Amino acid sequence: MLSALLAIPFLGALGLMLWPGELSLEKVRRAALALLLLQLAWSLRLLLLFDPSCGGMQLQESIPWIESLGLEYRLGVDGLSLPLVLVNAGLTLVSAYASTTVTQRPRLYFALLLVISGAVNGAFLSLNLLLFFLFYELELIPLWLLISVWGGARRAYAATKFLIFTAVSGGLILAAFLGLALVTGEADFSLTPVLSGQLGMGTQLVLLGALLVGFGIKIPLVPFHTWLPDAHTEASTPVSVLLAGVLLKLGTYGLLRFCLGLFPEAWAVAAPWLAIWAAVSVLYGSLAAIAQRDMKRMVAYSSVGHMGYVLLAAAAATPVSLLGAEFQMVSHGLISALLFLLVGEVYATTGTRDLDVLRGLLNPERGLPLTGSLMIVGVMASAGLPGMAGFISEFLVFRGSLAAFPVATLASMVGSGLTAVYFLLLVNRVFFGRLAVTPPEPGGPLDIRLPAVPLVRHLPAMVLTLLVVAIGLAPSGLGYLSEQATTAMSQFPALLAAISGKPA
Amino acid sequence: MVAELPLPNLPLSMQLVWLIPLYGFSGVLLSLPWSTGWIKRNGPRPAAYLNLLVTLVAFLHGSLVLRQVWLVGPQHLAIPWFHAADLNLSIGFDLSLTNLAALELVTGLSLLGQVFALGYLDKEWSLARFYALVGFFEGAMSGVVLSSSLFMSYFLLEMLTLSTYLLVGFWYAQPLVVTAARDAFLTKRVGDVLLLMGVVALSAWSGQTEFTELYAWAASAPLTPLAGTLLGLGLIAGPMGKCAQFPMHLWLDEAMEGPNPASILRNSVVVTCGAIVLLKLMPLLLISPVATDVLLAVGAISAVGGALVAIAQVDLKRAFSYSTTSYLGLVFIAIALQQPGIALLLLFAHGLAKALLFMSVGSIIATTNCQDLTELGGLGRRMPATTGAFLMAAAGVTGLLPLGCFWCFGLLVQAFSAEHRSFAVVVLLTNLLTLFNLTRVYRQVFLGDAQPKTRRAPEVSWLMALPMVSLTVLVGLMPWIMARIDPVPGIASFSPGVAALVMGSGLIGVVSAAVVPLNKAWSRSLFKPLRTLQDLLAFDFYTDRIYRATIVAFVAALSRLTNGFDAAVVNVLVDRVGSLSMAAAGTLRLSVSGRMQTYVLTALVAIVLLLASLNWFIA
Repeated sequence: MLSALLAIPFLGALGLMLWPGELSLEKVRRAALALLLLQLAWSLRLLLLFDPSCGGMQLQESIPWIESLGLEYRLGVDGLSLPLVLVNAGLTLVSAYASTTVTQRPRLYFALLLVISGAVNGAFLSLNLLLFFLFYELELIPLWLLISVWGGARRAYAATKFLIFTAVSGGLILAAFLGLALVTGEADFSLTPVLSGQLGMGTQLVLLGALLVGFGIKIPLVPFHTWLPDAHTEASTPVSVLLAGVLLKLGTYGLLRFCLGLFPEAWAVAAPWLAIWAAVSVLYGSLAAIAQRDMKRMVAYSSVGHMGYVLLAAAAATPVSLLGAEFQMVSHGLISALLFLLVGEVYATTGTRDLDVLRGLLNPERGLPLTGSLMIVGVMASAGLPGMAGFISEFLVFRGSLAAFPVATLASMVGSGLTAVYFLLLVNRVFFGRLAVTPPEPGGPLDIRLPAVPLVRHLPAMVLTLLVVAIGLAPSGLGYLSEQATTAMSQFPALLAAISGKPA
Repeated sequence: MVAELPLPNLPLSMQLVWLIPLYGFSGVLLSLPWSTGWIKRNGPRPAAYLNLLVTLVAFLHGSLVLRQVWLVGPQHLAIPWFHAADLNLSIGFDLSLTNLAALELVTGLSLLGQVFALGYLDKEWSLARFYALVGFFEGAMSGVVLSSSLFMSYFLLEMLTLSTYLLVGFWYAQPLVVTAARDAFLTKRVGDVLLLMGVVALSAWSGQTEFTELYAWAASAPLTPLAGTLLGLGLIAGPMGKCAQFPMHLWLDEAMEGPNPASILRNSVVVTCGAIVLLKLMPLLLISPVATDVLLAVGAISAVGGALVAIAQVDLKRAFSYSTTSYLGLVFIAIALQQPGIALLLLFAHGLAKALLFMSVGSIIATTNCQDLTELGGLGRRMPATTGAFLMAAAGVTGLLPLGCFWCFGLLVQAFSAEHRSFAVVVLLTNLLTLFNLTRVYRQVFLGDAQPKTRRAPEVSWLMALPMVSLTVLVGLMPWIMARIDPVPGIASFSPGVAALVMGSGLIGVVSAAVVPLNKAWSRSLFKPLRTLQDLLAFDFYTDRIYRATIVAFVAALSRLTNGFDAAVVNVLVDRVGSLSMAAAGTLRLSVSGRMQTYVLTALVAIVLLLASLNWFIA
């Protein structure tokens, strides 16, 4: 059942590469879309088979692989990973749908997209640390290629930066996993929490620190974030959608599953510092976003800010805050994908993303009214306006974290206010005012007429908008899906304390 | 208290009360085909008609429920919305007479305003978008006044912020509109974020979001004084922003750049919604004496300051928007001094009269295409209905003739006369200054010789005249209506001395404004001290400049600093490390021999070393 979610994209990618004869872009794209639709349908089927009232891993599959190394092919799904698997399926489909302008090597491009999607599925589903690491690394190379081959002007710099950062991240994670096996002497790499009876707190904290930095790079958290704005600016729109919507979630997923899941006791010790780190990350990202002049960089920095909420929620580790973290991961995935799609639309039509130049794109006949309207919804959702997914996520995060870390939570809420500042500036500059797409100059064109964007190109953005609003108005579904899993996670420290027989 | 819906013994209209906010929101969807341009035949009017229809349905449904509440008493309905661990969020409706009266005020004025808009925005190409936004506006407001939970009130107040932003930014191509929309959103958002902090804190500490349960929790108040004070300040910040109170008043004045029919609603019912939320929060504020003091200070500054600034305005709409700030200041004082009944009466009387005032202003602007007071004049005989509406609104909103606000002011002065003399003076001063302002505007607009822009000024079309005249009649009937819904013991329960004081203050205002020289050519005085004072008031005590020099500059500097740090320190460090590793790789490349044996040897040595270290580590 779960293996199909790996088989569809991987075999599909292989098939695309090996298919004999010439394939036009449109044919390859259709084939990829069909495969991704199948993957989405399969993920939805998973949703039907999944029993949300049970907190543990479900639909487990296990095949021994290299037992001497402790590597086991072991998959399972719970309320934490299932929504992310769905987001992955949906956003890869969106990303492939939006890839209409790939002129070079379309086969390789779509094959790489499929490999990324499969690797991400694998990472979300694997129950073995080494297996997770394999998939985590597997997603890295295709993305590096996607940026360095199909990217913008400074793509070499951005791609190298991305590669170095993420390789360090992978190295740290592997080191932590191996170190854990070494010091506990149990080389089965399973997802069993470490008890303080087994391992001194100092060693636990060192291993947790390595994991935290490793995932902190991926999320990304300040000060490990600088690869993200560059990668986003140089990546093409579909790749940005995938990067922001899906790949960053690997970091936060790792934070919850491995940092909190493997070292609950050390986590509780480190939590106050993590909350401060989260608040710094939120404020730093938001303030840096205000100063950006490139729309894509602004959205990228907003990701830095918004992923900080997940760390805050994880630090608090209450049932409500962890549910909020899950909500935030899903809603940030949808909202940032929506924003990148729309920014990409603006860039494709006007040829610029410069906030100092673009004006008045809401113009009804000659501008981009639909893009603008969707953009307003998107930025409002990102700023946490009620009725949309961002609000309920932030509310849950803040509500769950306030009692534990009041100062850090209030500081993060200020960050949420700052989101409104920069995104309002974006909408006000780019979409309000008199239509202009070039710096004003004497003798320049007075009347601009932008080519109308066909409705089909807006289809993914509209679907995402509807989803964002739907989650915002009726969050119970997602809540029901994840509540058992997140509640179970929040009880780890207490349970462990009970087992080891001393107060937490 | 919570859940058990549907209550089988309740009449259907009450069980379906949750539909009332949805009527407004449905207007958004109904307008979509026209606002997006899918239907282009015959213009966007059908969207307007559909919105009018749903608003009418909302009004009628509201009146049915009002009648039922009258018969069977107040009710509470709750629909569970979201539940997780110890968090329970529900959509709650509190069906009390006050809430339903407020609902009728909201939907009724929305209906009249929408009919008025049909005339005012006659030639507007994006009429459908306007109606969609007004529908959204109305839906959010209906929800706020009926809401029985703090969470839901916050939820809807934020939607109100969003729709205000979009309505103010309706004519988004104009530069002033862009800044006005931005300021409206950001000012309110500051208040909202502070309110959210309060909501989250209350929800986390008490585990509740329903008002009644919060009251019970607050009565035992297991809070430190500091936490209580911060909580109180957070809670009042939201209503302060919504009611355009000092120091968050800037947006209402700038919001006058939006279409006038939206201004009608904004100055009457939107601010009322903010005040009603504050009223519902009042029992919680008892934990924090500081918050009450702040409310009083803010109310007094807004009341007198707003009235003063209004006098110095030359823009017709702005002259009255500041007066809204001023009146809501009085409401804040009344709420802070535990006079909820009078506060509600004042909100009601002010809401209707101010809406009428803005309708007459809208008529003038629609006819003359001018809102500069120095360019208007002599409209009195040319536009009789508008003049009548203006006079009736002026009488209704002040304490000179025994219409709505007269009785409210009397009650307020009477209530404050024992212990809070200074606030009684604030009420009288506001009355005086407001009448001064109204009289000088009346002289400039309706009296005197016709100006170039007012020479041909026919009365407005029936679409605007009908709602205006209906509202004129309603404002005229205010004392009678107030006597019927009266939540306090008799609207006339104040002494003749107080009545004389109120009338006297009003009379001084009228007479002084009637004799003060008004020179159209020299709207700024030639006398230097007077001119300085005039400028100070005309530019609203330079509040926007102060903001720009302080908070805006601070955030901008901080963001530049962060960005600079990001580029100059974090990024450079990263690049350094990156280039180091690239250089190292480059050097290593030179040491690669290409001989298979060396590779195998290296790998073997590495494995041996690794295993040895493993052994040592485990041992």
